[in-house]
Amino acid sequence: MGAISPVLPYDPSMAEPLERMTNLLALLLETKTPLTLQQIVGELTGQYPVNVAAMRGAFERDKSVLREIGVPIEQQVLAGNQAGQTAYRIDRRRYELADLELDEDERRALQLAVAAVRSDESWGREGLLKLGAGGERPSRSVAAMVPTFEALPPLREAVAAKATVAFAYREQQRELDPYGLLLRDGYWYVIGHDHRHDQVRTYRVDRIEGMVTVGAEGAFRRPDDFDIRTVFPSDPKLLGDAEREVTRAVVRIDAARAALVAGEVGDAAVLRRRDDGSIDVEVPCVNRDAFRSWLLGLTEHAVVISPDDLRAEVVAWLTAFTAGLR
Amino acid sequence: MAATRRGPRPAPERLKRLLVMLPWLMERGEVSIAEMAEHFSLTPAEVVADLELASMCGLPPFVDELIDVFIDEGMVFTGVPRVFTRPLRLTAPEGFALLIAGRAAMAMPGAEPDGPLGRALDKLAATLGEDGVVVDFGRPALADEVAAAAVAGERMAITYWTPSRDEATEREITPRAVFADRGHWYVLADDHRSGSERSFRIDRILDARTTGEIDAPREVRLPDTERWFAGDSDIERVTVRMPTELTWMIERYPVDSLTANAKGATSTAVMPVLSEQWLERLLLRLGPRTTVLQPKRWEGLAARAAADVLAAYASVTRDS
Repeated sequence: MGAISPVLPYDPSMAEPLERMTNLLALLLETKTPLTLQQIVGELTGQYPVNVAAMRGAFERDKSVLREIGVPIEQQVLAGNQAGQTAYRIDRRRYELADLELDEDERRALQLAVAAVRSDESWGREGLLKLGAGGERPSRSVAAMVPTFEALPPLREAVAAKATVAFAYREQQRELDPYGLLLRDGYWYVIGHDHRHDQVRTYRVDRIEGMVTVGAEGAFRRPDDFDIRTVFPSDPKLLGDAEREVTRAVVRIDAARAALVAGEVGDAAVLRRRDDGSIDVEVPCVNRDAFRSWLLGLTEHAVVISPDDLRAEVVAWLTAFTAGLR
Repeated sequence: MAATRRGPRPAPERLKRLLVMLPWLMERGEVSIAEMAEHFSLTPAEVVADLELASMCGLPPFVDELIDVFIDEGMVFTGVPRVFTRPLRLTAPEGFALLIAGRAAMAMPGAEPDGPLGRALDKLAATLGEDGVVVDFGRPALADEVAAAAVAGERMAITYWTPSRDEATEREITPRAVFADRGHWYVLADDHRSGSERSFRIDRILDARTTGEIDAPREVRLPDTERWFAGDSDIERVTVRMPTELTWMIERYPVDSLTANAKGATSTAVMPVLSEQWLERLLLRLGPRTTVLQPKRWEGLAARAAADVLAAYASVTRDS
């Protein structure tokens, strides 16, 4: 990099931070060898303050803004006659967007997809711009609200990279080999092998406290037969202990709710249609809390017919309310 | 939406935009300021300011500008591409958002698994890594039919169950938009009975058929997330004390406050009450260890509701 150029007096009008950051970025992209702060300041003549503390402060701010917008600045500590000094560069292959080779209709489809998702962040729009899709926000007659949390992007990267993650949850530190992420019923779940419990566990992402730390790549193997949909059943009445046998409950639904419930459980689950308009449906029940929650949402329109112990349990639950009535 | 955000743009935001704008411009060579402004959701003045800034940047010894740019009569011309020839890679949040949007759109009514979106998602996943992300909205049987009617602006005659009044009503609606929120699908529609716009939960539509009538399209604005009625101070509040391990049951409802009591075994929640019937069902589900603290007139509500359900158990048995 040759001799350091004579440093011009610091002129604030010349060194608008944005301009300086752009130049710094270009310099680190173009350089063949990593550059020390001293070399950088020498190259960007007159753009950094002369005062060493102020110079260092300005450089640190520039660097953190670049990293914040996603620029992969690499740093290394030099040996030899520059021993101990830190040098910086940017690897163009890591900086540049990979060519996805999207066809025009595929780009358009992604644009429509982003327009159909409503969230609090503009991440999707920023990503689209990089892929060359900008301008109009197509209006959609079908849409979905998708909640977003800071923890989600690092968790997704960890799932893809097979990296162990660490985070605090209910005031305890957890270590997890994340197998997958699931959005269901408006909540995000991360599912994986929990180190401390040595079993597959599910955590709600919105309850993760603070930052997610992502470890080294390739730290675990996801079991070949892992399927997030079966590990986390869609029907909450099926949630719970895998070893426990699935109880099949028969519930009578009166005429006032018959159509509603038949629509929910599906015609295949309707065992009988009775003359008075009521129906008997068969529903799975593993998790008693979830089952009861579903059942009592229907109040007096739903009565458990069998099995006997489940019916007795519901009656006992209800009787406990009325104990003070008499 | 783009026009509402004004004032000086922060440096990181301008830089981020510039790093997308320069390669885009170099690829085209020549483009109008108006088109650039539209593409990047900026004003023409902002586009010009950013281009001027870019033309002042350069590598030592400042002979090489980053971009050879020339503006004339509302047109931008660029020369040989240099330095910023490709956009900055996708950040983790951007990649996440694109994948999720794609997956979500695939789980919506009317999605074509073999269409261009599916191919775009395959290409994205190939770059970002196989990710094990599943978006599952589920959806009620009628969702596809109602969504198709919304696209066509076709009127439907529906039977709708209103839980707060516990009654089913016949009404005519013109579906305008269908959306998923917190595990339920809703249709935003012109309700011809009340003459106003209303949201209906699709799983509570007991029956629906198209009438063959088509209504002219109109602009629709989807409601903001979450705050459906919670902000309304006219709605009565209830204060309940419940076992802390049951607080998950109220998480999907709007809650004004939820505080753990001393020792943490119980929690106290203040929440808006949609209707007495709704509260009744919630209390039954929360169980006998939950108590209504305020207002007094609802103290005995759960016990009375439980008695009604028990009466049903007395009359309905396996053999009846």
